[in-house]
Amino acid sequence: MENLLELADVHKTFRLGPDQVQVLTGASLQVKPGEFVALVGASGSGKSTLLHIAGALEKCDRGVVLFRGQDLTKLSRSRRHFMRNQSFGFVFQLYHLLPELSVLENVLLPAIIAAPWWMAFVGARPRKTYALELLEQLGMKDRLKHRPAQLSGGERQRVAIARALINDPPLILADEPTGNLDPRTGHTILDVLTGLHRSRRQSMLLVTHDVSIAAQADRVVKLEDGIVKPT
Amino acid sequence: MFPILAVWLCVAMLIVVNSIMTGFVDRVRSTGRSLEGDVVVSASAMGGFPYYQELEQKINQLPQVAASAPVISAYGLLNLPDYEISMGVQIVGVDPALESKISSFQQSLFWQYQAPMQAAADLKGVGFPTTVPKLVQYAANLVSRALDEVNRRQKAVDELKPVPPDAWFAGIREHWQEITIEDAQQAQAALEQAENDFDFVQQLPTSDSFADAAALTKALVPAVATFAPPPEAVNAYPTAQAEPQYGCIVGVDLGFYERDRFGNYHRPEGFRFTPVVLTVVPVTMRATLATPQTGQFMIVDDSHTQVFTVDSKTVYAPFDVVQKLAFMQQQQRLDGSIQPARASAIQVLVKNNYDPQAILTARDAIANLVDQFETQHPDLSFAGIRIQTWDQVQADYINAVDNERNLIMFILGLMSLVVIVVIFLIFFMIVRDKTQDIGIIKAIGGSEAGVAAIFVLYGVIISALGSLAGSITGVLFVLNDNWIHDDILWRIFGITIWNRSIYVFSEIPHQVDPITVAVIVGAAILAGLIGAAIPALIAGMQDPVEALRYE
Repeated sequence: MENLLELADVHKTFRLGPDQVQVLTGASLQVKPGEFVALVGASGSGKSTLLHIAGALEKCDRGVVLFRGQDLTKLSRSRRHFMRNQSFGFVFQLYHLLPELSVLENVLLPAIIAAPWWMAFVGARPRKTYALELLEQLGMKDRLKHRPAQLSGGERQRVAIARALINDPPLILADEPTGNLDPRTGHTILDVLTGLHRSRRQSMLLVTHDVSIAAQADRVVKLEDGIVKPT
Repeated sequence: MFPILAVWLCVAMLIVVNSIMTGFVDRVRSTGRSLEGDVVVSASAMGGFPYYQELEQKINQLPQVAASAPVISAYGLLNLPDYEISMGVQIVGVDPALESKISSFQQSLFWQYQAPMQAAADLKGVGFPTTVPKLVQYAANLVSRALDEVNRRQKAVDELKPVPPDAWFAGIREHWQEITIEDAQQAQAALEQAENDFDFVQQLPTSDSFADAAALTKALVPAVATFAPPPEAVNAYPTAQAEPQYGCIVGVDLGFYERDRFGNYHRPEGFRFTPVVLTVVPVTMRATLATPQTGQFMIVDDSHTQVFTVDSKTVYAPFDVVQKLAFMQQQQRLDGSIQPARASAIQVLVKNNYDPQAILTARDAIANLVDQFETQHPDLSFAGIRIQTWDQVQADYINAVDNERNLIMFILGLMSLVVIVVIFLIFFMIVRDKTQDIGIIKAIGGSEAGVAAIFVLYGVIISALGSLAGSITGVLFVLNDNWIHDDILWRIFGITIWNRSIYVFSEIPHQVDPITVAVIVGAAILAGLIGAAIPALIAGMQDPVEALRYE
C-alpha cells in the first residue's frame, strides 16, 4: 500500500546562540493510510520538530517529506498553508485554543480559514452541523458557548480534537496530547483518539514519551540520535 | 478603545476648527462682498476721477449691469461739540437710495433697518390681520412685561450677598453673581428694545391695518435709506433754525457706544440727533491739498457693516454735500473753462451675481468700456482708474484670513499624525500580546495575507468607528457652538473664548462643509490603515512554530 506520509533522510539543525544543535540527522518515517503510529523518544530528542516538519509547519534543512506523493519541501507558501488547513489536523499538548472564541467558534476556525475571504463567515456555515456532530461525539454538546477558560484541561483537548477533525484531514498529528493532563483524563483523551482511529480508520501520528500510551498504536517508532528506529 | 478615542478626538477637533474657521472666512467674504457692490471702478488718485456721470451712464447701459452708484471718499475730521470729541475719519459721500440697491448699506443701519426689523419680529405675536391700535396695545404689553422682568432681575441682584473670600468655590460663586447682574443688564436691554418697538408702532398712522407679518415689516422698515432727519429730531434742538440741515451716519465702532459681552451696543440716551461738525480736506485732481471745508450735520443713524476697519473710521454723509466739501463738484476754472465734477468710485451691481463668472464677465466688459472711455477723455489717465471685483478689493484681508485657516488646519493635521503613532503602538502591543493566537491561526492554515488582513481590517474598523463618532460629535459641537460657549462655558464655568466686545461678529460663525468632513474622515481611515499596516505585516510574517512557543 502506498504511504500516506513519507519522510526520508530528514535533517534539521537549530542555532542556539553560537552553537548549532543537530536535532534530526537523517530521520525517515512512513505512515500508511489508516495507520496509527506512535513516535516515542526522550525529551528534547526532536519528536515535535519531526511532527512539525511532517505537518508543513516547519521546513527541514535537507531530506524529502512526501504527503500522498507530493513533496512538501518544494511547495509554495500558500500551498503549505492550504495543506495545513486541509490535509493535517493538529492536536497540541497545550491545546492552543483561541481564548476569545467560544467552543463552537474554535472548532469552526479551520473551516472559516478555508472559505474565501469575502465569505469567511458565511462559508463556514455548512460545517456547523458537522462541528455540532463532532462536539456531540466528544461529549461537548453542552459546552458550545463556553470560552476555553471555562473548560477543564480534558474538555479543552476534546475541543482541540474536534477542531483538528472539522476539515476531515487524512492525517491527525498529535503532539503529546495527554502531556498536560492528569493520568485519568489523559487516558480518556487517548480513548477518544483510539476510538476515532478505529471508527473512522483515521491515520494518526502521535508523539509521546509515555510508553503505555504508545502501546495503543498500531506501530511504535523511536527517535534516537536524530534518526527514527523501530522498537 | 484608546485608538477609537484618539481618532474620535482628532476627527472632532479638525471638524470643529475647520468649520469655525471656514465660517469665519465665509462671513468675512459675505460682509466684504455686501460692502461695495460686485465691481468697483475706482481712482487710485486721491482726488477721484472726472466724467463719472457719463461713465456711469455707459456702465448702466451694459447688459451685465443691474445698477450702479457713485461714491466719494475723503479724509477729514469729525467733531462733536457737545461731547468735546474730535477724531480723524474717512468721510464717505453716498446717495442712500442708490447705495441701498448696490450694497448692504441700508441693512447696516440701526434706526432705519435693524431696530424696525427687530420690532417687526417682536410684534409678530400679535396675530394677523391686525390694526395699529391692537399693535400699540401689544407693544405696550411687551414693555410692561419687559419692565416686570427688569424688576424681577433687579430684585435678584439686590438680594445678592457678598461671597466671603474664603468660602468654598468663592471664585465660581462670584461668577454666578456676575451672571445674575448680567441677566439684569440683558433684561434692561430687552426693555429698551420693547420701548423702541412701542415708539415704532406709535409712528404708524392709526388707521393702518396689516394682513400679515410681511405687510407689517414693510410698513415699519423704510424702503430706502435716507440722511434726512426724522420729524422727532426737532425735539433735540431748541429751535428749528438750530437744527442742522443734513444728517450723517456714523460707524458703530467709532467709539461712542459701549459693547457688552453679547455683542450688543449700548447707545447713550439722547446721543441720536447730536450735532456734529465734519471737516473735509479736499484733494485736487493733481493731488494737492486745498483749504479744509466744514459742514454742520446731525447724527441720524449708525452703521454696522461688521467690517471693523470700516465701522471704526467711517462717517457717511449725502453725496452732493460731501462732493462740495471735497471740492469735487463741477467748477469754473480761472481761465473760464469748466472743470467737470468728480467721484472717487462707481460701485456696480451685476446681474446674476450669485455666479462668480458673471461678475468676471461684467468686470471685463466694464474694463473694455473704461479703456474706450479713456481714449475719449485723455485727462482721465491722471486718475489711474482701476476696475476690480469685490474680492479683488478685499483680497488682502480675505486672503490673510484664508491663509490663517489653511495654516491652522495644516498644523492640526500634523498633530493628528499622532493618531498613526497611537494606532501603531497599540497594534504593535496587540500583536505581541496575541503572538500565540497568531501562531494557532497560522498552524491551522491561516496565510500571511489572511492574518495581516485581520489586523488591517481591525485598524480600518477602529478608525471608521472613531471617525463616525468624531464627525457626529464635531458637527453637533459646531452646530451648537454658541450655546456651548454661552450657556455652558460662560454661565457655569465663567470661561469666555469668543469675546463679542472684541470680535466683529456677535455670534461664533460656523460653516460645516460636507466635502471637508468627508476628506477628514477619509484621512482618519487612511491613518488607521497606515498605523495598523506595520504591526499587521509583523503579525502576518510570524513563524507559526516560534509563535506557538511564545510565552
